[in-house]
Amino acid sequence: MDPMTALAASGMRARMESLDLLANNIANTSTGGYKADREFYSLYVGPEAMDDEASAAMPVIERQWTDLSQGAVHPTGNPLDLALSGSGFFTVQGPNGPLYTRNGNFHLASDGRLMAADGYPAQSVNGTALTIAASQPVEILGDGTVQQGGATVGQLAIANFADPAALVKQGANDFVADPAAKPTAPSGTSVGQGQLEDSNAGTAEGAVRLVAVMRQFEMMQKAVMLGNDMSKQAIEQVAKVG
Amino acid sequence: MIRALYSAASGMRAQETNVENIANNLANASTVGYKSRRAQFEDLMYQSVVQPGAASGQQTVVPTGLQLGLGARTASNELVFTQGAFSETDNPLDLTIQGNGFFQVQQANGTLAYTRAGQFHLDKSGNVVTLDGDPIVPQITIPPDAQQVTIAMDGTVSYTLPNQTASQLAGQLQLAGFQNPAGLNSIGQNLFTPTDASGEATVGNPGGSEGMGSLLQGYLEQSNVSIVNEFINLIQAQRGYEANSKVVTAADQMYQNVNQLSR
Repeated sequence: MDPMTALAASGMRARMESLDLLANNIANTSTGGYKADREFYSLYVGPEAMDDEASAAMPVIERQWTDLSQGAVHPTGNPLDLALSGSGFFTVQGPNGPLYTRNGNFHLASDGRLMAADGYPAQSVNGTALTIAASQPVEILGDGTVQQGGATVGQLAIANFADPAALVKQGANDFVADPAAKPTAPSGTSVGQGQLEDSNAGTAEGAVRLVAVMRQFEMMQKAVMLGNDMSKQAIEQVAKVG
Repeated sequence: MIRALYSAASGMRAQETNVENIANNLANASTVGYKSRRAQFEDLMYQSVVQPGAASGQQTVVPTGLQLGLGARTASNELVFTQGAFSETDNPLDLTIQGNGFFQVQQANGTLAYTRAGQFHLDKSGNVVTLDGDPIVPQITIPPDAQQVTIAMDGTVSYTLPNQTASQLAGQLQLAGFQNPAGLNSIGQNLFTPTDASGEATVGNPGGSEGMGSLLQGYLEQSNVSIVNEFINLIQAQRGYEANSKVVTAADQMYQNVNQLSR
């Protein structure tokens, strides 16, 4: 393949992966607490061809980053729906260590433990689950303190990560953290009771990005076809004798 | 590419479930004691194309990797047990629970079911029954010549007989409470049955310290469906469905472009 075709083909492949990311974002526009993924392009430079950069540098999606910006918060009236305003995550006791989520759709288990939407118990600041009596109203303060009848039951653990890249999505609205990254208490984050955070992936924005990806893909395709034509010309015309 | 198609399809399916749920809520907007359901979604598994921490050179590792999500699914549609509005009916056997409790009802097969719909009637032998004829538990019987039936906030049912001033006690209504009402199983006819998620029912008198709530005679609890909210959800679901279908079209078109590369 000539360098131009190879470059354009690499660009097409990258746009296909962009579309995969975008499709997932658009599929999750109604997922509470979902954070959109964005692509991060870089140039792939073959180590054996450092002297000929123009031909060896290929655009690829090296990694994605997760847009952790705030989603819209809407009131639900359910006292166990919690929304975080600001950075940070609710901590959930997963089967293999803590999980982190922005989906504050909590409910009670039959034994009174406060459970996250994925069925794992919510973790309090001292590492235990929170047990709530269903017969009394629950009040949850801005710092995550859970109160019933004026008495403090516990405080929800809210974890913040200095480097968002330490978090990896694992489905069901949960993130797992790199064990080397230690969560810290966030500053300026407040818990809103009776509210849920929407997905931060919007349909309108998704539609605009979709058009951009499609048009870029089309351009690359034209470039491949142009390279094809040039090769064809070279074969048919230049090599013509007589 | 196929990933994008299937992600979009999963998004469309999720929005379809959302619309079905909204339709049922709207259909029951006038059902007494109906509790709305709310669809909850979650993202599916992620496919690691580049593993985070993989070597990107002899000295360096990839800091975050490339993970492609595979779409969304409906995780649950949970019951929302907010209090519905009260409407006055003046019917002495219409009851509203102000609080978290449920009326206990005995079904035809003998098992107990629980309901928030307090539209009660008398059957031919004077038993207090639901709209479907299931008797309330504990059973309460009112004699045919009873003049005035009074149900107090604490569930005491009494009536007066003609030419008597003292009221007679007919029985004591009891309410059931659940640790996790959102985990109850809906079986139709406004009835719920307990599950492992909801926990077993605890029974107590209305207005007691168990927090079951107190009774209000002559009022009915309307459904807690907010028509405005449901319409907003409907618009969002429809637009979400549309956006996902656009992704299918885009993926299809890009596929077509690839096929055109070799003419």
